[in-house]
Amino acid sequence: MRADRSRLHPVKSRAVALLWTLCLACATCNLSAAAQKVVVLGIDGMDPKLLQKFVEQGRMPNFKALMAEGDFRPLQTTMPPQSPVAWSTFMTGLDPGGHGIFDFIHVDPTKMAPYNSMAVAEAGGRPVNVGSWSFPTSGGGVRLLRKGKTFWQMLGERGLRSTIFRMPVNFPPVKAPGRSLSGMGTPDLIGSQGTFSFYTDHRKDWPAQISGGEIYEVTAISNRVNAQLHGPPNTFRRFPTKESLDLLEKGRAVSLDYDNPKMTQDFVVYLDPKARAAKLMIGDQELVLKEQEWSDWVHAEFKAIPHVITISSAVRFYLRQLSPKFELYVTPLQIDPEDPVMPISQPANWSKELCSELGRFYTHNIPEDAQAFKNGVLSAREFWDQMMLAYEERSRALDYLLKHPAEDFLFVYFGTVDQGSHMLWHFMDREHPGFVQDDVLQDGIPRLYEMLDGQLGHLRKMIGRDTALIVMSDHGFAPFYWEVNLNTWLLEQGYIVLKDPSKQESGEFFSNVDWSRTKAYAAGLNGLYVNLKGREKAGAVAARQEYEALLDQLEKALLAMKDPRNNRSPVSLVLRPRRDFKGPEKDKGPDILVGYSHGYRCSWESPLGEFPKAVFVDNHSAWSGDHCMDYRQVPGILVTNRRITSPAPALADLTVSLLQEFGIAPPSGLTGQDILEPKK
Amino acid sequence: MFEPKVKLDKALYEKLKMYSTIAGYSSVEEFVQHALEKEIKQFEGAESEDEIRQKLKGLGYIS
Repeated sequence: MRADRSRLHPVKSRAVALLWTLCLACATCNLSAAAQKVVVLGIDGMDPKLLQKFVEQGRMPNFKALMAEGDFRPLQTTMPPQSPVAWSTFMTGLDPGGHGIFDFIHVDPTKMAPYNSMAVAEAGGRPVNVGSWSFPTSGGGVRLLRKGKTFWQMLGERGLRSTIFRMPVNFPPVKAPGRSLSGMGTPDLIGSQGTFSFYTDHRKDWPAQISGGEIYEVTAISNRVNAQLHGPPNTFRRFPTKESLDLLEKGRAVSLDYDNPKMTQDFVVYLDPKARAAKLMIGDQELVLKEQEWSDWVHAEFKAIPHVITISSAVRFYLRQLSPKFELYVTPLQIDPEDPVMPISQPANWSKELCSELGRFYTHNIPEDAQAFKNGVLSAREFWDQMMLAYEERSRALDYLLKHPAEDFLFVYFGTVDQGSHMLWHFMDREHPGFVQDDVLQDGIPRLYEMLDGQLGHLRKMIGRDTALIVMSDHGFAPFYWEVNLNTWLLEQGYIVLKDPSKQESGEFFSNVDWSRTKAYAAGLNGLYVNLKGREKAGAVAARQEYEALLDQLEKALLAMKDPRNNRSPVSLVLRPRRDFKGPEKDKGPDILVGYSHGYRCSWESPLGEFPKAVFVDNHSAWSGDHCMDYRQVPGILVTNRRITSPAPALADLTVSLLQEFGIAPPSGLTGQDILEPKK
Repeated sequence: MFEPKVKLDKALYEKLKMYSTIAGYSSVEEFVQHALEKEIKQFEGAESEDEIRQKLKGLGYIS
């Protein structure tokens, strides 16, 4: 029944009007982020050319409106244009020589071992051992490897408070007035970048090892599957290693070496083939999943010392198939935001507060499970669904943060466009070697842009009239058609010598390299290192003259490289951090940064020291779009309600501009310029 | 090939010699190498290749 307002009693009518006025005023108080002076929406991987195209197609009305109100420019990214590098520059205003992040992967030259560039886990103190129990005398921890002060720390020094939601390369989060939650660079519970689990009764269908995940054999007996979640090692327990026991058997009276056993959490799956559903029981929780249904977050516990120390985690289950094959996917074990075992927020209880408002959420590195899709554990459509779960969590978080505007500055990060552009490019690009015709997913990337346009529309409604709104990305995107096995190229050019050339394709981490005769090697996605005496474990190139001459030679050779299949030049830029960057960290990165030209990227195998036979290979992976190339190919975006005064703004300029919005002069050492016109 | 040498106190060397025999090691070198590797491991928190692989390979950019 429709209410007829005209028939309301006048007094009643005035009372209703007053009530409406109060409600609206109240709603404005609650719903507006008017208190925030500056709001930044960080959209990882949003590309200016695609944005322009979708705006012109009328698919992004809110971006169009913001461009009309203010301005739009491509935003120069860093070299290399990798997210950890670019976001570090955005937040510190420094180039990689200042913040020390040159790649996703760095190399420890004393061990010739690659490691995650963003954070490192540090061992605890020497333990006290009692039988099979082991008690560390002091706690270990994690250390952020990025150097430099972030702009929100600088704001904090002036008494300004910031909310920083999932800024990459901020794990553990730096201390500053306000609140922050870590993002890319945050490990999962086992300390990896994200390791999913996959349970199947057809283990033989899958390779022995799969990148980014573990596959476990299970057996269904009487429609019941018993399985375990495999957690981190229990540092409170220890058992003799097999090697120690073998030595003992050989008659060596050794003092034993010990390993920490992995903690596990049992779960049971009861299958109902008729209903095409299953009941999962884990701890005291029960849930029912239909085939191809995702669970909500499920709490998991790993008991380090029963009744004393329990490590909390959270996972989502996806019942992929019940029969004829049983297939169950489980997300990487999350650091539980409700009870985090590692510092993911600042203040420490903020993740718990968010959790009480929003429910549990993905906390690790990059939630969108590209590795599961790449390896066929999730199909493209399943990956899309999983990506949407992560997106909806971010969307709810943005809404919550806008409704609780307690700070002066707000940054919110979305990673959906980045991961979608990596994984869906081959559906929209007919020239891609891995092109797949899919009438729905060919529109996947435009759809993701539209979704972010919706977020922007919501944001514009919620912020105050005087708030400076900045929408930016760390880099753009390009197709990834062809792989370059850079280590194989170095081998062919004589810069690398193998111990056993007949075993070129076996082993990783440079295990077959004869370091005494090797001059240079490639590691990470854009890095090339000289095997330098006094720095590398078995350096072979002398410092100064020999080193400089080798760099000159390599630079020339890289730029002259040709792909004989199409006569293209795969490398269009060579930078030397020691020559081209500023700051105290510039000597700690690679000796050369390789900028690949349009369509090229470093191969899948080369970054971790493998040597496939061919130098150039077509990329048939679902990971079909990329940005780890010549930075000039892949600028990010800058859209704002202010005028942009520079024709070519860069990420480091934005840092300075943010400080200037608050009237703070940038400290010395920052390379950027203020590029936003003050609000009139 | 060049092999690094380490000077040891004579009394310590004699002890090493005695205990390496008692402990069943084939030489003093084997015993010293094993003892030092164990000691260093505690400081390095040495990761196996499998551990390095697992930690890095969740990253979608590599195989």
